[in-house]
Amino acid sequence: MYSIDVKAWYIAKKNIKEKLKNLGSMFWTVAFPIMMLLVYKLAFSEGTEEGMINGLTIFEVEFPGIVVYTIGMSSVTSAVMFAMSKIDGTLERIDSMPVSRGNVFLGAVISESIFMNLQLILVFGFGYGVLGAHFELAMLPLGYLIAMIFGIGCIGLGLIIASFLGSPEGANGIAMLTHMSLMFVSGSFFPLDNAGVFFTPQYWVKQVYLQLTVVGNSFTDLLYSGNIILPSSTASVFPIWSGILIILAFTSTFIFLGVKIFQKKTTL
Amino acid sequence: MNVSIKEKAQIKNSKPTQFFENGHSTEFIIEVRDLAKSFNGLKAVDRINLKIRKGELFSLLGPNGAGKSTTIRMLTTVLKPTNGDARIKDFSLIEEKNKIKPLIGVCPQENVVFGALTAEDNVEFVGRMHGMDPVEMKKRSKNLLEKMNIAGRKKPVKSFSGGMKRRLNLVMSLIHQPQILFLDEPTAGLDPQARRLVWDFIKDLKNTGVTIILTTHDMLEADALSDHIAIMDLGKIIAFGTLEELKSSSSNGNILEFSFSSRDELIQAKSKLERINNVKNISEMDNNKLIISFTGGVMTFKREILREIESFKALHFREDSLEDIFLKLTGRGLRD
Repeated sequence: MYSIDVKAWYIAKKNIKEKLKNLGSMFWTVAFPIMMLLVYKLAFSEGTEEGMINGLTIFEVEFPGIVVYTIGMSSVTSAVMFAMSKIDGTLERIDSMPVSRGNVFLGAVISESIFMNLQLILVFGFGYGVLGAHFELAMLPLGYLIAMIFGIGCIGLGLIIASFLGSPEGANGIAMLTHMSLMFVSGSFFPLDNAGVFFTPQYWVKQVYLQLTVVGNSFTDLLYSGNIILPSSTASVFPIWSGILIILAFTSTFIFLGVKIFQKKTTL
Repeated sequence: MNVSIKEKAQIKNSKPTQFFENGHSTEFIIEVRDLAKSFNGLKAVDRINLKIRKGELFSLLGPNGAGKSTTIRMLTTVLKPTNGDARIKDFSLIEEKNKIKPLIGVCPQENVVFGALTAEDNVEFVGRMHGMDPVEMKKRSKNLLEKMNIAGRKKPVKSFSGGMKRRLNLVMSLIHQPQILFLDEPTAGLDPQARRLVWDFIKDLKNTGVTIILTTHDMLEADALSDHIAIMDLGKIIAFGTLEELKSSSSNGNILEFSFSSRDELIQAKSKLERINNVKNISEMDNNKLIISFTGGVMTFKREILREIESFKALHFREDSLEDIFLKLTGRGLRD
């Protein structure tokens, strides 16, 4: 086996160049989250007394949902990228060169992470800066980190999907279906009072993120308070650290499974 | 198809079994032993043996589905063989494939290019994967792209014609100066002018000492470029040698191509031809055409068949070609 080295960066650079020149992909990466923010702002910003949660408008409470949606799209883009590499000969070409598959995966994670950073900067800048969503500045870096960890897990999910599908169109369809289903089931778009939400990583990302950036103002307090907002109420059940652990477990599991399954399915 | 089973067996059995002597020779850069690949029980490559000399141009000739590309994919470390091994330079394909990868260049059958990138970006990506020095890489990239008439284009490769992409594919396989170059149908889909350019380029490349393994179903290409040719069919190597060796070992003699206006005409003529003593072999082709191999003088034979057959569209005498050899060995045309 070849080791992971600087070649991962060259693979990432190639991926970035390709994505920047793909207008369709850039629309879903950049423009669509901005559109979603605008739609939510227009629909939910004028909160009435009964429409408010913890003194925040629905737009402010749902803002983390848009972040989850935006970052979760990396499962779709990475599924398409890996499925494409299977059928257009890229993977075979790379396999005939002195490069490890580890470099290919790391290259994908680097390039996708760069776009996730770009998305987060745009969504944060637009959401907080222009549309005035409430946030706690001190907690923002941690929220940012959690979003990135979740995003890397989504690349793993994309890998798993790409492993089983023979075409980028199929991978796009299934990845989009999975992403949107999880968004709705997790209550990330609209709060759901259902136990099923606890089984989706999106729920935990949204809730932890919500705690950190919108509601909370001290990470230490949050760690010990066990004060995590339930889908549609203010009651507390789980401490925040359990949510962070779940997100880390999700990311590790999906990356591990993604790499293993993709390797197995594409090693001829 | 009237191919002598005895003749076929002679050719099948003679050459391949002679490929291996005991021990490993430095004369041969590739030695393939009992290499096989099956997909879901279906044998795509069936225990082939080959020896390829350093610096030679070796062609694998055969119809689509013969197992040529599968063989190349195994030798380029992409596919894992189900049986056998190959020694490429000093390394085992099974045990030391990572040592083989830096030595080889691969131009796959499909154009594997990154459409959104420029030609330079595509070539340099491959160079980076081979750990090339950036200065040397840029210099060599420019030189190769110029030779292939695709230098200086700043547009994305997706705007290139099929032929330009094919040539870029070839440049990508050469950027790191491989010792062994695998070309899988390198001129497929090229116009005659571009094909000639690629042929000249391959010939020049051969003169630099690179060992080239080429797959093709184009007899002209194999004829024009090869030092040695292996004919593959149904996963097996059915004949091996230089063009002259192949022709002398399996020559049909002279060839007559006979075209008819209808199938009825063809059937009638075929039954008459089968009764003529000099006829060695008759193959029925598409478009109401018969390929007849015969012994003896052309003029005598022509007089004889014109006496027998009155109704036909055209007839044409020629020398035995690679396609005829293939036809004789397999009972099928190369494009069947």
